[in-house]
Amino acid sequence: MQSFRERLKTNRAIGVILSLALIAFLIQLFLSPWVYRKLADGFHLGFFPILSVVLLLLLSLILTFDSHRKEKPADLMTLTFKSFLGVLLILGGCGFYFLVMRQIGFLIITPIFLFLTIYALGLKSWWKCIMGAVVMTAVVYTIFSLLGLKLPSGILSGILFF
Amino acid sequence: MFQPDALIEAFHLFFTPQVFYWLAIGIALGVGIGAIPGLTATTGVALMLPISFALPVAPALGLLIGLYKGAIYGGSISAISFGIPGTPGAAATVYDGYKLTQKGQGRKALDMALFASVTGDSLSDIFTIFVAPVVAIVALAFGPTERFWLMALAIILIGALGGKHLAMGLISAAIGIFVATIGSDPIGGVSRMTFGQWWLMDGIHIIPLMIGIFAMPVMLVEAAKLLGERGIAKRARESISKAPWKTGPGLTFREYRRAWKEMAIGTSVGSFVGMLPGLGATVAAFLSYGVAKQVSPQKGIGTGKLEGVAACESGNNATCGPTLIPLLAFGIPGSPVAALIGAALMLQGATPSPRMFDLYPHIVYALFMILLVGNVFNLVIGRLFARLYAMLAQFPKPLLIPLILMIATIGTYAFRGNPYDVIVMVVFGLLGFGMTVIEMPTAPLIIAFLVTSMMEANLRRALLITGGSWGQAVFGSPLAIGLIIAVIVLVFLTVRYLQRVER
Repeated sequence: MQSFRERLKTNRAIGVILSLALIAFLIQLFLSPWVYRKLADGFHLGFFPILSVVLLLLLSLILTFDSHRKEKPADLMTLTFKSFLGVLLILGGCGFYFLVMRQIGFLIITPIFLFLTIYALGLKSWWKCIMGAVVMTAVVYTIFSLLGLKLPSGILSGILFF
Repeated sequence: MFQPDALIEAFHLFFTPQVFYWLAIGIALGVGIGAIPGLTATTGVALMLPISFALPVAPALGLLIGLYKGAIYGGSISAISFGIPGTPGAAATVYDGYKLTQKGQGRKALDMALFASVTGDSLSDIFTIFVAPVVAIVALAFGPTERFWLMALAIILIGALGGKHLAMGLISAAIGIFVATIGSDPIGGVSRMTFGQWWLMDGIHIIPLMIGIFAMPVMLVEAAKLLGERGIAKRARESISKAPWKTGPGLTFREYRRAWKEMAIGTSVGSFVGMLPGLGATVAAFLSYGVAKQVSPQKGIGTGKLEGVAACESGNNATCGPTLIPLLAFGIPGSPVAALIGAALMLQGATPSPRMFDLYPHIVYALFMILLVGNVFNLVIGRLFARLYAMLAQFPKPLLIPLILMIATIGTYAFRGNPYDVIVMVVFGLLGFGMTVIEMPTAPLIIAFLVTSMMEANLRRALLITGGSWGQAVFGSPLAIGLIIAVIVLVFLTVRYLQRVER
């Protein structure tokens, strides 16, 4: 007997969740005035957006009922809540790293970001993490500088060679 | 029509130290990326896209095409050395390649992989050079109705053939159509689907989208595995590093020549498969392997034979040139890498379209030269550094993942200095991760995204020409009806074949 969690990881469940979300979105689209705006050539502005959402809805319903509906994607089955949270943290970390980089500068924040991520992913040797972070930062900075792609210098912008 | 002036201009564009420099870097990077399991040619090209924007057109194409060719070959290094394909296209190479390593003939296998890759790639590039202009002439005869259906059907084909599950592939394509409508309509520039955000009025830019969809998910899935199964990952790494490195003698010319039939099969299959949207190097490699096995059962392909490696590697590398044919002739990318190269051309001001041979012939001819000369660089670099790349295949994932994420983040920002691009990259990184985890292919999304605005523009032009008659605009052309029938038949046959394979 499958648990509820296991049933949530089938293609059918994915199809149901997608369908419900798309129905809600489609209703919201139909309630938007811009959808009905007629353009100079007689075409309606909302035609292709609505077409794409309707197609998505139809395909999600097919997913719910087709011969693959009971299949469970292998990666989804092995994905734990902890690892999903970890992925969200890493993505959030990329965003945070970028925001801080614009203020503080690439050369300061990047080794810190790399060190923390390398350590979190399992390399527990401190000196290897630090060396890896510093070397990778230096290599990437050099390549981008040679290409003329400017990276944020942040608080180091007053110093002559940055 | 061949243009001698454009050819001379292309020589000037191509024969510069900068082009050779970036071609070499592209190949060197590409072989390394291909050798590392978990990284693909698509990931590498997506990451280099912002960098290519800083270069003139010919060096940019050298970098990206070099990276692509190198990565397709590089996947065989890990496949032969450790039994782990570096790229999906090298999965079939494991069957014979790894067995050869276990027999002490690893060096022969690596040499055969290199020579077969370069042979298949070179011959298919010559095929591309002759076929692409002919297809482009046919494409010029297409009106808006035919172009609309060609694009719609390319999206359907890529969605249907892009993965093992038809509905998943088509959902991915439909998401691409949806994302492409964000911003403004392609004819009048009127805002739509901006969700009240002013910065979405220009739409979603191709670079953060591609990096988010192609580069981020692969690393996020690896990160999730490391975080969730740390012990298993560590044991796997230990077993790789302890695997004995057996070299043995190199390949002889006689052995290379003996595999001529398998290389011919690989080249033919790869060239044909490469031209078709949605199939790609993996399908070409497996198909070449299967055909070679059937044609010469007495050779024992699959039991550790050099001919098996030759068939797979010539098959997957022979897709490199032909995959660009739909892009150059119709402006429709038929694969993720073609989509990336198309985006690079767009960024350089040379938008791929049926008129590409008329408007930018010098760029097209330079591209052909890069395709051909890239094989020579691939041969030299692969020959000199194969063992170094085999060591690179063991690059620890805890170091690789943060490096790729960092390059993705700063590359996205550095390209045009727009902070909202990083938001887009993160959002699509999460979407791409979700799609990868539920086994939804991501390539149809990108290709549909690139093609949708052209598709809408052509439909609206057709409606204008027919005075608003939908029936005439959509079905008024016998060629269009022929295209529709051809794709329905192809999709039907493919679905039947997939169902038979599953049973």
